[in-house]
Amino acid sequence: MRIICCGNRDRGDDAAGLLVYDRLRELGIGAELSIAQPLELMETWKDADDVIVIDAVVTGAGPGTIHHWDGNAAHFPAIRSTSTHGFGIAEAIQLARRIGNLPKNLHVYGIEARQFDVGSEPPAAVREAAERLARQLAAELSVNVGK
Amino acid sequence: MTGRTIRVDTLARVEGEGSLYIKMAGDRVADVKLKIYEPPRFFEAFLRGRHFSEAPDITARICGICPIAYQMSAVHAMERALGIRIEPAVRQLRRLFYCGEWIESHALHIYMLHAPDFLGYEDVIAMAADHRDLVEKALRLKKIGNRIMCVLGGREIHPISVAVGGFYKVPTKFQLQELSDDLEWALQTSLDTVQWTAGLDFPKFEQDYEFVALRHPEEYPLNEGRLVSNRGLDIDAAEYEDHFLEQHVKHSNALHSVVRGRGSYLVGPLARFNLNFDRLPAVAQEAAEKARLKPPVKNPFRSIVVRAVELVFACAEALRVIREYEPPAAPKVEVPNRAGVGQAITEAPRGILYHRYALDDHGLILTAKIVPPTSQNQRRIEDDLREYAAQLVAWPQDEATWKCEQAIRNYDPCISCATHFLKLTIER
Repeated sequence: MRIICCGNRDRGDDAAGLLVYDRLRELGIGAELSIAQPLELMETWKDADDVIVIDAVVTGAGPGTIHHWDGNAAHFPAIRSTSTHGFGIAEAIQLARRIGNLPKNLHVYGIEARQFDVGSEPPAAVREAAERLARQLAAELSVNVGK
Repeated sequence: MTGRTIRVDTLARVEGEGSLYIKMAGDRVADVKLKIYEPPRFFEAFLRGRHFSEAPDITARICGICPIAYQMSAVHAMERALGIRIEPAVRQLRRLFYCGEWIESHALHIYMLHAPDFLGYEDVIAMAADHRDLVEKALRLKKIGNRIMCVLGGREIHPISVAVGGFYKVPTKFQLQELSDDLEWALQTSLDTVQWTAGLDFPKFEQDYEFVALRHPEEYPLNEGRLVSNRGLDIDAAEYEDHFLEQHVKHSNALHSVVRGRGSYLVGPLARFNLNFDRLPAVAQEAAEKARLKPPVKNPFRSIVVRAVELVFACAEALRVIREYEPPAAPKVEVPNRAGVGQAITEAPRGILYHRYALDDHGLILTAKIVPPTSQNQRRIEDDLREYAAQLVAWPQDEATWKCEQAIRNYDPCISCATHFLKLTIER
C-alpha cells in the first residue's frame, strides 16, 4: 500500500492532506508514505498496485467533511483542489487515465476545505477531520492506534 | 466588432490568480488590463527583524515553482552585504542546483502549459489522448529536475540546505554521478524538444523589445553577471534601482516595472538567448541553429523553442558540473554578523530576480526589496496584448480570447511571485 498526501502547509485548509501525513507517521502505519504535488502523482505511484491519495478538496460540503472516491471509477468527480497551475488531483487522475497510468486500486480521500489564505491555520473542523481520517486509515491497515 | 470586449476572468495554465480585460473600439485597442487579484503577501515586511541566515528559507516560500531562484538571489545579496566570498566548488553546486529548477520549470511549461496552445487542445489532459509521449517526456524531465533539487536541497519543494556562505550539507561525488544517466537522457530529449517545438506554427508577431538579462564574461547566465540590455544598459546589480522603477497601477496587486525614461522591457528566455547566444555551450548553439533560431528572436510565441534550447543548456551544464565536481573543503564559510547593504540579481526560469537587503550590526534585516520577473514582464505583457489584440479584430470571440491567453502564456507568468505589493493599503 502506498499513501500519497498532497497540499500546502502555508495555505490554510490546503494543509489538510499533510496533517494526515504527519499523523500517519506518528501512528507508524505499515504503508509507504509520500508527499507529492498533483503533477507528481503518476511518478509517485509508479509500480504500486494499491494507492491512497489524500488532499484538501472543495465540493460545497461543510469544512472538515471527509469524502471517499474510487479513483478508477469511469467518472471521477470534477472536484476542485487549489494547486499550482490549477492542476489538482482530479486533473492528475484524468491525465493518468488518458495515458493508461492509473494504479490497479486507487482510493482518493478528500477533506473539505474552505479557505486558502497565505499563512493561515486550518480551523478545528479540518484538523479534527485529518485526525479522524488518519486514525481510520491506520485502523484499516491493522495497526494498533492506541499505542 | 465595434466595442468588443475580451474578458478572461480566471487565467488558466499560469501560476497564481489573474484575469485579463481588453476593450476594443472598432479595430483599435482602447484598453488592456492584466489584472492580478491574488492578494498581496507582505514578504518584504515580515523579513524585517529576521536574521540574515533566515532569508533563503523564508523567500523560498514565495514560490513553489522557483524556490531556488529566491534562495540564490537571497544568498548572493546577503553575501555581498556581509563581504563573503564562497568556495569555487560551492559556486558550481549552486549552478547545478539552478539547472535542476530550470529543467523542472521549463519542462512543465513547454509540454504541459504551452504545448496545448500550439497543438489546439484545451489543456494537457485533452492533449494526452493524442500525445501520450509528450506527457511522459514532460513528467520524466520534471522528475529529473526535481531529483537534482532533492540531492542538493534535501527536498524538491522549498529546499532546506541552502545557506548564506554555502550549503549546510554538500553531496558526495557519487551522489552527483548517480544523476548522470538520467541527465544524458534529458539532454537527448531536450535536443529532440528543440526540433519538435521549432516545427510548430507561430503567429506572425514581432515586437521591438528592450531585452534585459544578466551577462557573464564566460557563462550563460544563472547566478551572476552584469545586467545588460540591447539598448545600452550595462550595470552592476547595485545600480538596479537607479535604472528601474516599480509603479503601482490600480488594476493589479503586482507592481509594474519600467526602465526609467524608456518604459516596458522583457526578461526571461528570449532576453537571455538574444543577449547571450555566444555564451551557450556548443551543443545548445548547434541545436538552435539547426532549428533556424538566431538572435535576435523578436516573436514572443517562439519563446517555446528558446525554452527548449535553454533545456539543452541546463542539461549540458548540469552534466559538466557533475563531471568536474570535487567536494569543497567545507560546505560553507563562517559568516559573522555585521552591518551592510547587498544587492543581487539571478536568472530565475522566467527572468531576472532582484533582491536587496540592509542589515544591522547584529545581522538582522532592516529592509528588504524583492522584484520578481513576472512583475517586470507585466507591463510588457500588456504592451504585447495591445498590439496583438488589434490583429485579432476579424477573429471570432472565442478564438480571439484563446489567442490572447496564449500570448500571456508566452511569458510563463508566475503571478504568485509577482504579488507582493506593500503599499496596497495606502493606495486603496
